[in-house]
Amino acid sequence: MSSLLANPLATPSQLYRRASSATLPRDVDEAVYFATQCLTQAAGRLLQLPQSVTAQANVLLARFWLAESPMAHEFSDVSAATIYLVSKLGPLPRSPRDVSNVYAYLSSANSALFPSGELPKDDPRAYYQTEADYYAFQQRMLGLEARILQSLSFDTQVSLPHPLAITYLQTLDFLSQPRTTVSLRTIQYLNTALLSPQMLYITHQPNALATAAIYNAARDLGAKMPEHEWWEVFDVDREELGFLVVAMRSVEGWMQKLKEDFPSFGNNILKRSVVEDELHRRGLQVGNRDNTPRDEEDEVMRMMDSR
Amino acid sequence: MSTKPKSRWASSAEDAEYEARQKKEKEEKRRKKALKLQEEEEKKKALLAAATTTTSQFAETNDDNDDAASSSSRPSKRRKLTPEPASNNTSATLLRFDVGTWKPSRSVDNYDKLNDIEEGTYGWVARATELATGRVVALKRLKLEAGDPNGLPVTGLREIQILKNCRHRNVVAMEEVVVGNDVSKPDNSIFLVLEFVEHDLKSILQDMPEPFLSSEVKRLLLQLTSGVAYLHQNYILHRDLKTSNLLLSNRGLLKIADFGMARYVGDPRPKLTQLVVTLWYRAPELLLGTRTYDAAVDMWSVGCIMGELITREPLLQGSNEVDQISKVFELCGVPTEDSWPGFRRLPNARSLRLPKQSPLASGSVIRARFPNLTAAGASLLNSLLALDPEKRPSAKEMLEHEYFRQDPKPKPESLFPTFPSKAGQERRRRHEPDAPGIFQGRDKEERGAGFSLRMV
Repeated sequence: MSSLLANPLATPSQLYRRASSATLPRDVDEAVYFATQCLTQAAGRLLQLPQSVTAQANVLLARFWLAESPMAHEFSDVSAATIYLVSKLGPLPRSPRDVSNVYAYLSSANSALFPSGELPKDDPRAYYQTEADYYAFQQRMLGLEARILQSLSFDTQVSLPHPLAITYLQTLDFLSQPRTTVSLRTIQYLNTALLSPQMLYITHQPNALATAAIYNAARDLGAKMPEHEWWEVFDVDREELGFLVVAMRSVEGWMQKLKEDFPSFGNNILKRSVVEDELHRRGLQVGNRDNTPRDEEDEVMRMMDSR
Repeated sequence: MSTKPKSRWASSAEDAEYEARQKKEKEEKRRKKALKLQEEEEKKKALLAAATTTTSQFAETNDDNDDAASSSSRPSKRRKLTPEPASNNTSATLLRFDVGTWKPSRSVDNYDKLNDIEEGTYGWVARATELATGRVVALKRLKLEAGDPNGLPVTGLREIQILKNCRHRNVVAMEEVVVGNDVSKPDNSIFLVLEFVEHDLKSILQDMPEPFLSSEVKRLLLQLTSGVAYLHQNYILHRDLKTSNLLLSNRGLLKIADFGMARYVGDPRPKLTQLVVTLWYRAPELLLGTRTYDAAVDMWSVGCIMGELITREPLLQGSNEVDQISKVFELCGVPTEDSWPGFRRLPNARSLRLPKQSPLASGSVIRARFPNLTAAGASLLNSLLALDPEKRPSAKEMLEHEYFRQDPKPKPESLFPTFPSKAGQERRRRHEPDAPGIFQGRDKEERGAGFSLRMV
C-alpha cells in the first residue's frame, strides 16, 4: 500500500492559485501559518497526544489552508478542528470538551504559550468557560470538522517521515554516532519543518523529508556520511535534497526575523482581529470578508448568552 | 564437482587477456569515481554556502513580490527529475509514487438516484447512475445524528478511511465521497460512492431452492478468505462479517462490504470495544467480554458463514447473548481449561455456571451436524469454530487448507449460476439482528436458561 509511505501533494497550480489569490500579504500569511501551527503543537502537548497525532493535525491544516483562505475562519478554531479530527480517527480520541478547555486556556491571558520571562501565575478565572462559551466553540469546531473533510474529499491519511527517518538511520548504522543524539537531532529537524511556512509537508514526500533531516543532523553533529550518493538509496535526488536541506535550516533564522518584524504577534494568541488591525495599519483592505457584520452580531449574541 | 574441471579451463591465454582488460576497466572506473567524488565535495560546499546565503536572503527579501511568485514555481521545479550531469553515468532509478493531490468533494448532484436498495441501522443505500458516464453505482448515505456533540460519526469516518486505502478484488471498491449541497452545515449529508454489485449473499441463500454445490461453497469461501487475509495483512479488522455484508456479482465475484464496524489496529494498539459483530456471528471471547481481541474474531465469523453457505441457514441463531453462548457451547462443546486455557479469567466467564455434563457430551458436535462434509471440510470448520481464539487458523493459513485442494475443486467464478437481481427492483430484506455497538443499547438482552451470564 503506497499510502503508508506516500502522501498526496500540492500541485503547482494549487500553489500558484493560493499565491495569486491570497487575501493576505505574504509575510502576514506566513506569520499566521507559523503561529497557528505552533498553537496546534501546544494544544497537542496539553491534550497529551503523541507527536504522531499532533503532526498529522499540522499537515491537515496545511492541506486545508491551501484550498481555503486562512481569514475565512478563526485560526484557533481551525487548529482545534484538525487536532480533534485527527485524534478522533486515531487510537487516542479526545473529547470536544477537553479540546475546548485546552484552547480556552491557550487563548487566555494566563496562557504559558507566550513566555513573558516567567511563567504566569495560574489563574483559572482567566480561562473559565461558561456552558454557552463551550457550546459556541463546539459548534464552530464541528462545523469546521465537516468543512475540512469536504475540502479534502475525506482523505485524512497522513504519512509522517518520522518512523522512516529512524529506519533510514538504522540502515546507515546511525552514522557511527550515539543513537539517541543523532535520532533526536533528526526528529527535531522534522518537527521544526512542520512549522515552516514553506509548507514542506505538503510539497515533499516523507522519504525526502526524512533524508534531508538526516543530512542536516549529520552535518550538525559532524558525522561522517557515506561517500556515495547515499540519498539515492532512499529515492531522493540531489536537487530535492538540496532544497529541503536549505529549507529546513532556514526555519530558525526566519523565526528570528518574524519576531523582529511582528513583535506583537508573539505576546498573545494570534486572532483574525489582530491580523485585520495589522492590515489597517498598512492601509490594506481586508479582502473578501463579507461576513464581518454577521460576526459582530454573533459576538453580541454570545456575550448576551453568557450572562 | 562439475565446476572443478571448468576451473582448469580458466587459465587459458584468452582468459588472462580478458582479465587484464577487466582490471584496466576497473581502474578506469575507480579513477572516474574519485573524480566524481571530488566534484561532489565541491558541490556540497557550494550547496552549504548557498544554504547560508539563502537563509539570510530569505529573511531580507521577505516583502519582495518576486518571492511570492517563486514560491509557487518552486515545487514544480523540484518535482522534476533533472539528472545532474555528474550522476548521469550512474543514473539511479528513484522510486516515485503516483499519489495525486486533494480536492473538494464533489456534489451528489453528479449522480441520479434509480432506486433504494436497503435501509439499515447504519444508513441508506441506493442504486444510482453517474450522470456524466452513465455508470451504475451504489450510493450509501452516512447516518448523521443532527446535533451529535461529537460531530461526524467516527464509524463512518473510519469506514471512509479504510475503504479509501483498500484495493482488492474481494473488497468492495469505493470511488469517491460526495456531499449534499449544504456545504456550510455540519450535518450536510455525506454519501459513499461504491461499486454496484448485484446481490448480497444473504438474499441469495434465502431464495435459492437448492443449496450451493460444494465446489461453489469452496470458491465463495476462498474469495471471502482472500479478502479477509488482505484486510488482516493491512491491520484492518472487519468486525461485522456476515452473509448480508457479502456481495456477489453476476459473474460469481464475491466482495466484502459494509466497513461501518471496521477499524485499524496498529501501534499503539487502540482500545477496542466489545460491542462488535452481529450476535449470530460473534466469537465466544467477545460474548465473554474479552478486552483484547484480534483477527481471530473475524475468523470465527468466517466459520459461521461457512456453515451457513452449506445449509443456507445461519449456523448459530441465538436470541440474546446468553442464548447465543449456550448455542455456541452446544455446537462446539463446553470449554475446559484444556480446550481454552484462561477462558475463566474473561470478565463474563466468572459468573458463568456451566451445565454439569458428562465428559463425553462436552465435545464438539460439528462433525455430526454436517454429515455430508468431507473430513478435510469438517476439520477446517472445526478449527474456525475453535473456542480458543489462539487455535483458529489465520486467513492466510486457511487459504492453504487441504479442503480447497481436494475434489471437488473450487468452481471457477465464471461458471457460477446467475440469480435474478433483487437490487434492481425491491429492497433487500433483513431477517437477522444488526451489529451492536455505538448505536444500540444492549440492556434489553434477557437472561437465558441453562446457565447464567451477568452483563456488566
